[in-house]
Amino acid sequence: MASMNSVLFISFLLFSVGVAGVLIRRNVLIILMCVELMLNAANLNLVAFARHSGTVAGQAFALLVMGLAAAEVAIGLALVVALYRKKDTIQVDQINLLKG
Amino acid sequence: MMQATVSAAPIQMVLSTPLHSSVLWLIPFLPAFGALVNGLTGRWARNTRLVDAIALGSVALSFLLVLCCFARLLGQAPADRSVNQTLWTWFDLGGAHVLGGLSQNVMAWAYKFDPLSGAMALLVTGVGFLIHLFSTGYMADERKNGEYYRFMCYMNLFVFSMLNLVLGANMVIMFLGWEGVGLCSYLLIGFYFEREYAAIAGKKAFVTNRIGDFGFMIGFFLLFMIYGAVDFDTLMGMTRGVLARPEITLFGYSHAPTWWFNLAGCCLFLGACGKSAQIPLYVWLPDAMAGPTPVSALIHAATMVTSGLYMITRMNFIYANAPVALAVVLVVGSLTAIVAASMGLAQYDIKKVLAYSTVSQLGYMFMGMGAGAFSAGMFHVFTHAFFKAALFLGSGSVILACHHEQDMRNLGGLRKKMPWTFASMGLATLAIAGIFPFSGFFSKDEILWQVFEGWYRGGSTLNLACWIVGMLAAFMTAFYMVRLMVMTFFGDYRGAGHDPYGLTVPSEVHHASHDDAHGHGDHGHAAHGPQEVVWNMWVPVFILAVLALVGGFLNIPHSLHWIGSSHFTAWISPLLFQVHAPEAHEAAPAMEYILMLVATVVWAPAAMILAWFLYGRDPSWSRPKAFVKRFPNLYRWCNAKYYVDEFYEAALIGPCKQLGAQLWRFDSLAVDGMVNGAAKFTLILCRVFHWIDARIVDGLVNLVAWVLQQVAQGFRRFQSGRVQNYAFVMFIGFLAFAFWKFLV
Repeated sequence: MASMNSVLFISFLLFSVGVAGVLIRRNVLIILMCVELMLNAANLNLVAFARHSGTVAGQAFALLVMGLAAAEVAIGLALVVALYRKKDTIQVDQINLLKG
Repeated sequence: MMQATVSAAPIQMVLSTPLHSSVLWLIPFLPAFGALVNGLTGRWARNTRLVDAIALGSVALSFLLVLCCFARLLGQAPADRSVNQTLWTWFDLGGAHVLGGLSQNVMAWAYKFDPLSGAMALLVTGVGFLIHLFSTGYMADERKNGEYYRFMCYMNLFVFSMLNLVLGANMVIMFLGWEGVGLCSYLLIGFYFEREYAAIAGKKAFVTNRIGDFGFMIGFFLLFMIYGAVDFDTLMGMTRGVLARPEITLFGYSHAPTWWFNLAGCCLFLGACGKSAQIPLYVWLPDAMAGPTPVSALIHAATMVTSGLYMITRMNFIYANAPVALAVVLVVGSLTAIVAASMGLAQYDIKKVLAYSTVSQLGYMFMGMGAGAFSAGMFHVFTHAFFKAALFLGSGSVILACHHEQDMRNLGGLRKKMPWTFASMGLATLAIAGIFPFSGFFSKDEILWQVFEGWYRGGSTLNLACWIVGMLAAFMTAFYMVRLMVMTFFGDYRGAGHDPYGLTVPSEVHHASHDDAHGHGDHGHAAHGPQEVVWNMWVPVFILAVLALVGGFLNIPHSLHWIGSSHFTAWISPLLFQVHAPEAHEAAPAMEYILMLVATVVWAPAAMILAWFLYGRDPSWSRPKAFVKRFPNLYRWCNAKYYVDEFYEAALIGPCKQLGAQLWRFDSLAVDGMVNGAAKFTLILCRVFHWIDARIVDGLVNLVAWVLQQVAQGFRRFQSGRVQNYAFVMFIGFLAFAFWKFLV
C-alpha cells in the first residue's frame, strides 16, 4: 500500500510534467496531451484523498473528470483540425494573430 | 294738390337722404383700376383701342359718379353738405406724444366729399377726361411703338393721386395724393426719357418738389403737435379752442397760438410753392414742358399745380388766423405773377409762353388767397383750368399740325388752316386777358379788387403795392397772349420756306433737341402744310374754350348782382373759417365799378391793341426788333429768365454738388479707409490667430496623441500573441497567488 505522500508526490510530478509540456511544447497535439496529464494528476489526487478519507465522492469526481476530459479532447481535436485547415500548421508559435 | 305732394315726396326723399356714401371710394379707385389694368396688361394689348377704352372709361365713370355726388350735395342744406367715407384703418397712431394729447387714435383711410373737394373732383375728372380724349389723338405716334399704354397708365395714376389729394379727409391722405401727383408728374415729364433733357427736367421737377414737401411736412407735423389730430373736420372744429389758449409751448418755446399758426402757415406755403410753382421754387414748371403737351395741360396747368391753392383753402382756418403767413402768400404771389409774366414776354417757344403764363396766373391765385379771399383765389383755379387747358391743348394741336415745330417765329397764318383751334384759343385768350364777359374777367378782377379793397378799407399799403404789381402783370398777360395768338395764327405761314421778313430761325426739331420732338417722318402728312387736327383733338379744346367763356357766370361779384349771384362763393363759404361774424353785404363802393371798368375796357384792351400794333399790323415786327436793339440787356434778361436757373446753379446746385464731391472724397478716404483698415487689421489678426491655432493648440493636441502613442509602443510588447506566453503568465500568477495564500 503506497503511502499518501508518495501518491501526492507522483501526482505533483505528473502535474509538473503537464504544465511544463503546455508551456514549452509547440505542437498543439502535445499540448493537449499535457493538459490530459494535468487532469489525470488531479484525478490521482482526488482518488487518493477519497481513499484516505474513506468516502466515494472523490472517486465519483474522478469519473466525472474523465468523462469531461473525453469531451474536451473531442472538441480540442476538432479545433486542431479546423486550425490546421485554416493555417496549414499546428505549431502554436506560428499562430500569433493577437500580437500587438 | 294731393297729387303734387305725392309725386314730390320721392324726389324730396332722394335728395334729402344722406348720400349713398359707399360709392365714394369708387371715384378715386376707378382710375386706379384703369392704371393697374393698363399698366399690367397694356404691353400685350394688340389693339390700343382697348387701352383707350379702359383709360377713358374709368375716368368717364368716375366723372359721372362725381357728377351724381355733386348733384346730391346740391340738394342738401349748406351745413350738411359733407359726405365722409372711412374705408379702413390705415395705421394706428399709438401713443404719439403731442401737446394736449391725441384727439384721434387711428389714422383712417377716409374720403370726404364736400363743396370744395367735390368741385375740385369735378374739375379733375371732367378736365381730366377731356385731356384723356385729346391724348388719344395727340399720342397717336406712340400707338405704334408700344409706349402708348404707359402714357395712359401714368395719366390714370395721376387722376387717382389727384383725387386722393382733393378727396382725402385728413392730411395724411392728402399728403399721399400730394406725393402721388409729384411722382406722376415726374414720370410724365420724363415720358420721353431716352432724351436727356426730358429726363433732366423730370428730375428737376421732382427734386424741387422735394424741397417744398419738406416744408409741407414740417408744417403738417407742427399742426399735429398742436392739435393732436389730422382730420380736416376735427382741425377746423378745434381751431377756436386752440386760439383761446394763452400760449402754446412746443420744443421748449412758448408763443401765442397765432405765432405758431404763422410758422405752420409759412411752412405749408413752402410746400405750396413747390407744387404750385411759386418763387423761389417755380423753376421746374417751364422745364416741365419737356413732357407731352396733354401732360402740360392736365398736370402743369389745370390740376396738379393748383393743389397748393387747394391745400391753402382747405387749411383756411390756419391762414385766416395767421396774418404774417398771409402777407407772405400775398407778396410771393404778386412777385411771381409779375416776374413770370415778364419772362413770358420774351419767349418764342409757344409752350414756354404758356408755362410762364401758368406760373403768373398761379401767382394771381396766391395773391387772392393772401388777401384773405379764399373763394376768389379758388374760383380763379377753376376758370384758369378751363382757359389754360384750352390754350395748352390748342398749342398741342398746333405743334402736332406743324410737325412738332414749337418756335412761334416758324409758325404763323394758321388762322384759316385750323379754324376750330384758332376759335378755341381765341376765346381762351380773351378769357385770360380778362375781357368782359369771359370767365377771366370775373375771377381775375375779383382777386385784384379783393387785394385793392384791403388797402382801400384802411388796410396796409402792402396791399396797394401788390395791387399795382398785379395790374402790371395783367397788362403783360394780355400783351403776351395776343403776341402768341398773332405770331401763331395771323400773317402768313412761315414754315414752308415762305419768309419775306427773315423771321424764321433754324428749326430745332430736326436735331431733336427740343420739347416734344419725336420720331419724325412717320407722320404721313409731312407732304402738305398744316391742317385742322382730328375731331378727338379739337372737340375737347372747343369744349374747354366754351367753358372758359361761360364759367365766369358761376361766381359773379356782389357788385354786379344784377347779372347773377355769386354761387361759387356761397358754395364754398361753409368751409371757410369765420374770424368775425359774417357782416351784411354793404353796397359796393363806386371805386369797384371804376376799377372794373378800367380793367376791362381800358387796361386789357390797351395791352391787346399794343400787341396787335407791334406784331399784327406790321408783319416784319420792326418795332419789337428796334426795341430789342435799343435795350439789348433788358431783352436778354427777360429771355434768359433773369438767369435764375443759372443763379441757382451757381449758388445752390453747384455748392451742393461740390459738397457732395467733398463728402464723396471724405467717404472714399476716411470712411472707406476705416472700413478697409478694419479689414486689413482683421486679416493680420487672423494670421496671428492662425499661427497660434496651428502651432500651439494643434501642437498640444498632437503632443497628447504622441505621448499616448509612445506609451502604447511600450505596452504593445506585452501582447506577443503567443498563447503559451499568456498561459505562462497565468501560471506565474497562479503560483504567486498560491505562494501568497501559503504565506498568509
